[in-house]
Amino acid sequence: MTQLSSTDTDATTDAGAQADELREAWAARLADALGDGYVEHHIIPGGDLWVRVTRDSWTDAATAARDQLGCQFFDWLSAIDWLPSPYGRDMDAQEDNPQPKAADPMEQGHAGGQTRFQMVVRLYSITEHMGVTIKADLPKDDLSIDTLIQVYAGADWHEREAWEMFGIHFNSHPDLRHIYLPGEFEGNPLRKDFPLLARRVKPWPGIVDVELFPGEEGP
Amino acid sequence: MTAVGADQRQQMAYVATQAADARLNVEVETEGMTLNIGPQHPATHGTLRLVARLDGEQVVEAEPIMGYMHRGYEKLAEVRTYPQVTTLINRIDWLGSFANEVPFILAAEKLMEVEAPPRAQWIRTALFELSRIANITLFLGDMAVQLGALTPVFMAFRDREFVLNQIEAVTGGRFHPNFDRIGGLKDDLPQGWINDTKQAMEKIRDFCDEFEELVLGNEIFEARSRGIGIVPPEVGLSYGLSGANIRASGVDWDLRRDGHEALAYDQVDWKVWTHPDGDSFARYWVRLQETREATHIVDQLLDGLPSGPIMAKVPRIIKVPAGEAYAATENPLGEMGYYIVSKGDLVPFRVKIRSASFSNISITPWLLKGVYVPDIITILASLYFILGDIDR
Amino acid sequence: MGLVASGKAPKPLTKLLNLGRKYSIWMYQWGLACCAIEMGAVIGSPRYDVMRLGVIPFPASPRQADLVVISGTVTDKMVPSILRLYQQMPDPKYVISMGSCANCGGPYWDSYSVTKGVDQIIPVDVYVPGCPPRPEALLEGIVLLQERIMNEDPAARWRGDPIVVD
Repeated sequence: MTQLSSTDTDATTDAGAQADELREAWAARLADALGDGYVEHHIIPGGDLWVRVTRDSWTDAATAARDQLGCQFFDWLSAIDWLPSPYGRDMDAQEDNPQPKAADPMEQGHAGGQTRFQMVVRLYSITEHMGVTIKADLPKDDLSIDTLIQVYAGADWHEREAWEMFGIHFNSHPDLRHIYLPGEFEGNPLRKDFPLLARRVKPWPGIVDVELFPGEEGP
Repeated sequence: MTAVGADQRQQMAYVATQAADARLNVEVETEGMTLNIGPQHPATHGTLRLVARLDGEQVVEAEPIMGYMHRGYEKLAEVRTYPQVTTLINRIDWLGSFANEVPFILAAEKLMEVEAPPRAQWIRTALFELSRIANITLFLGDMAVQLGALTPVFMAFRDREFVLNQIEAVTGGRFHPNFDRIGGLKDDLPQGWINDTKQAMEKIRDFCDEFEELVLGNEIFEARSRGIGIVPPEVGLSYGLSGANIRASGVDWDLRRDGHEALAYDQVDWKVWTHPDGDSFARYWVRLQETREATHIVDQLLDGLPSGPIMAKVPRIIKVPAGEAYAATENPLGEMGYYIVSKGDLVPFRVKIRSASFSNISITPWLLKGVYVPDIITILASLYFILGDIDR
Repeated sequence: MGLVASGKAPKPLTKLLNLGRKYSIWMYQWGLACCAIEMGAVIGSPRYDVMRLGVIPFPASPRQADLVVISGTVTDKMVPSILRLYQQMPDPKYVISMGSCANCGGPYWDSYSVTKGVDQIIPVDVYVPGCPPRPEALLEGIVLLQERIMNEDPAARWRGDPIVVD
């Protein structure tokens, strides 16, 4: 345990403080580059950076992150459905969830938000070893956003996945097709209102299927 | 008829060949052909389907079709409690199962603001590297078998068992350990395990040496993989290639060294291997070196293993405070990360799984353009994917 | 085969035929998920070595196979391929369902894209439980199948009767 001495710990806190300064600087540079398109940011000290932009400056934000912050590495892209679902268990069978809790009010996570669907993309700089998570709100009546393919070629499949899972349309994406599910599949599985029907008709097997230890009496 | 000078003769011969070539081109012009590989094909290890449009022997356009192994992890994680999710995510990359649990647990620990005690971190790291070895040894055999050498895969299966035995001795599971807990590990190491593991590492090093001669030193292997499927670093990064695939293109980036996660990699002395070529050979070479490096990491970790508890103080029923966190580690296949959104409940609100193979394989439509048919197999094998890791 | 088809084959002859079939199973591998690696260990690893049981694991196509091992998660997208595979195999054909996913959906019992058991689409002869089953478990499944073949009345399969094994 000699390696984990106190001097080391000091060094890591210094590095952590430097990293946080860099995060602040990144947020400021994105704000400069985007102007009105920039909404807000959130920093967890020693943790991560979240930036929220408007839908129209989505591609600009990615371009700025790539060219000005040096985030060459496309990490992932997805969406979040913020529709409240009590304990995530509203789709359970009666036996599993006898008293369903009332739904909480809709509440978005870091860097805030107003709408039910939010786009999330994470970009990473392999020189600074630091990433940024960019979010954008999607209005309820128009679930569409510009594609990032021109900025990051790898966004192609991630956008197809988001289209399939959430039903979000990507403007000028060349090839929005099913990626995982068979063509005749209906619905968008990762939306919170998509039920897992197997759970409705069948209780959690762990409840009915209790295995007794040797010598234990059954109920 | 006057005598024809040597220059002129040469010129005429040249024209004649050109004409013959042109005629040949007209005569053997073929219609495009569509080649379907899979969904169940040995070269796709699992159920990837590849539709390639060919012009003669060359690929005009190739498109992987996946989803044959899509199980809906991200949705299923929303209806399972945190400990139940670990059981599930073992099965994403089924060759290096333990490595799948670690980033999820780390992300949950970030949200709960707990940190595993040092001993747990060290054992975690050692098991992480063991699952890397279990994973990559199979790749080393498998890529050789796809290039026509059958023996290496038998050797890989043989020597992989030593590592699986060690993983099983600690966790009770050959494949799916489900050993990692929020705040530490389920159990401590069994007696005598450290010595056994060191012996196993010795065997794996022998295995690596053997493969270095047997496969990398093989003329046919080299001829079929050198210069095939070259990935330029900037293209690779924009497609999200990670792990050994991007290090084989000369990018010196490894989340074990450069990440900020609570693992014991900064306590041992090791090296990140890169290769400047970016071709299939380089990818194989980098993975082989990484396997050998992993054995050294395990040895050092086991030598310096700190004593102490293996579990931090966490409540019996785990409720993760509201918030968002992303944790990523350098898995055998590349960067694997989990983005957890919690609302303070027993179950996660949303889990986004960033799996390495999905991004790694997304470069194939770009990479397979214009290659010859046998090279499809080389390129797919060298990119190395696991279907569960693509489809989730 | 007229004798076998009519069901009038003498018992010793049936036994002899069954003995021959039992020890020359051509096994087609339909490896889908984690179980495929354990199946690979059964086939490829010198430690388990399936060939000593008289099983030949490398038929070139399902049309030459007697047995198919469905090992791993069967998704709805995969179902047509499995049906087609089964239809292509010549009679008599046997199916081993390996692993919890192929048996009943396993850990994905509530998933929206996983078929809850391969027996919903094709008849299964032997179920091998486990997630994934150890290679030894698959070997035992194969031995059980061999017992079943040994005690089978070939005419019953020929006539399409429900198969009853002593």
